Amino acid sequence: MDDVANKIVSILKKNMKEPPETIALDTKLSDLEIESLDLAVIVFDIEDTFGIQIPYNANEEMQDFATVGSVVERVKSLIGDKGAAGAAA
Amino acid sequence: MAGPNGARRVVITGQGVVSAIGIGVDTFWANMRRGVCGIGPITNIPLQDLYITIAGEVKDFDPRERCPSKPFMLADRYSQFAGSAAIEAMKQAGYDGPVSDGHRAASIIGSGIGGLGTIENGYVDLFIHKKKATHPLTLLRSIGSSAAAHVSIEYGMKGPCFGTVSACSTAAHAIGLTFQMIRAGMVDIGIAGASEACVTFGSMRSWQAMRVLSPEGCWPFSKHRNGTVLAEGAGILVLEELEHALARGATPLAELVGFGMTSDAADMVNPSIEGPSVAMQIALDDARLAPGDIDYINAHGTATTVNDINETRAIRRVFGKDADKVSVSSTKSMHGHCLGAGGGVEAVACIKAISENFVPATIGFDEPGEECDLDYTPNEGRSREITYAMSNSFAFGGLNAALVFGPPPA
Repeated sequence: MDDVANKIVSILKKNMKEPPETIALDTKLSDLEIESLDLAVIVFDIEDTFGIQIPYNANEEMQDFATVGSVVERVKSLIGDKGAAGAAA
Repeated sequence: MAGPNGARRVVITGQGVVSAIGIGVDTFWANMRRGVCGIGPITNIPLQDLYITIAGEVKDFDPRERCPSKPFMLADRYSQFAGSAAIEAMKQAGYDGPVSDGHRAASIIGSGIGGLGTIENGYVDLFIHKKKATHPLTLLRSIGSSAAAHVSIEYGMKGPCFGTVSACSTAAHAIGLTFQMIRAGMVDIGIAGASEACVTFGSMRSWQAMRVLSPEGCWPFSKHRNGTVLAEGAGILVLEELEHALARGATPLAELVGFGMTSDAADMVNPSIEGPSVAMQIALDDARLAPGDIDYINAHGTATTVNDINETRAIRRVFGKDADKVSVSSTKSMHGHCLGAGGGVEAVACIKAISENFVPATIGFDEPGEECDLDYTPNEGRSREITYAMSNSFAFGGLNAALVFGPPPA
């Protein structure tokens, strides 16, 4: 796992009552018993850590939040967008 | 005059409302009958860093016109909404000034959060502008009991006076408690409901962070629903012991016949089926009614994925086979989610529904959402004989309240 993934895993663990020893990229968030309010807190933490904004609505099924890996990919793409926007400005 | 359960009977002799679909019951109800949507782009606050930019704002509210006494002029917007609705309700009940026996009168007007705009402005002054002092009325404006106190002063109500606080069940709790006080003989008349002025920058940011707001619209029970929409407003009733009302020559608009309240005691955001079901059942039992007697349910219907399925299941659990006969709607589709004031605004909708035998619609309805299988009165209201109507309010924390209204005693 790279730096982004490690940071996201540590955010997940921080917000779980009993985090498992290992969280892999293919671990499903539903298997971690993360519910909608937990996810709102986790998304907030991720936004704060990486300085990005993640469009997330608890009322909608979001593929980006299916697995740890999909969250990592989404965050990387948002970091990339931010970098590109910064370069253009 | 005692009711079927031996208790004193409680009637509604006045009602007042402030909402995104109208200030005053006549405008509110005319728009509700027509299915007017009051939700739109936010105009009263700066939108920076907001990606949720719609709400049910109260438009063109002039406190000088609606609640002209000096204390109200200096109050927070939330108290002014309450003042406007209370004055309208009291006028309908026949009061232009103080009640005759103040110690037998209650003023129970709650708010989910009170004078939030005042608090936010105070913090901006303190922490951003580094002012040496906040406005001297900051405290009095912000406390969540100020609306109740202002109204008690306006009408010389010297009995119980306080605000209820139970998030989105606040108004229903205020009305239910006042109902019980009158029944118990503690007071003869009470003004009850709630007010909310929650479309502030900080509030919008807080709700946005919870990820439960829709960026587009409030479409309860509908397949395309994607969250709720915040709204401002106030809904206030004058409740009165039947004999007291008749002796004054007041005209009862409806009777409040049942009240139930429960707490899930389980989770802050995920509702149980048991809590709401038992609240509805207690309200029915209190009213000595069977589920089949209810013609209309003004649902809590927030348009979140979770609430609408859960409420549907709870109604099915309580109403059994009668669930397919009762008309259901969520008027939040029109006026938005008035949070603490919701149960008050929706109580007014129930009373008008009974008076005019008309079920207001759930607008913005495309097709039924998954597991949403009741008659939600999609898009167009309809005429139907309504003898009894139930109003549901369910709040964060699992705080449930149900009110049952019936026709005015013959």
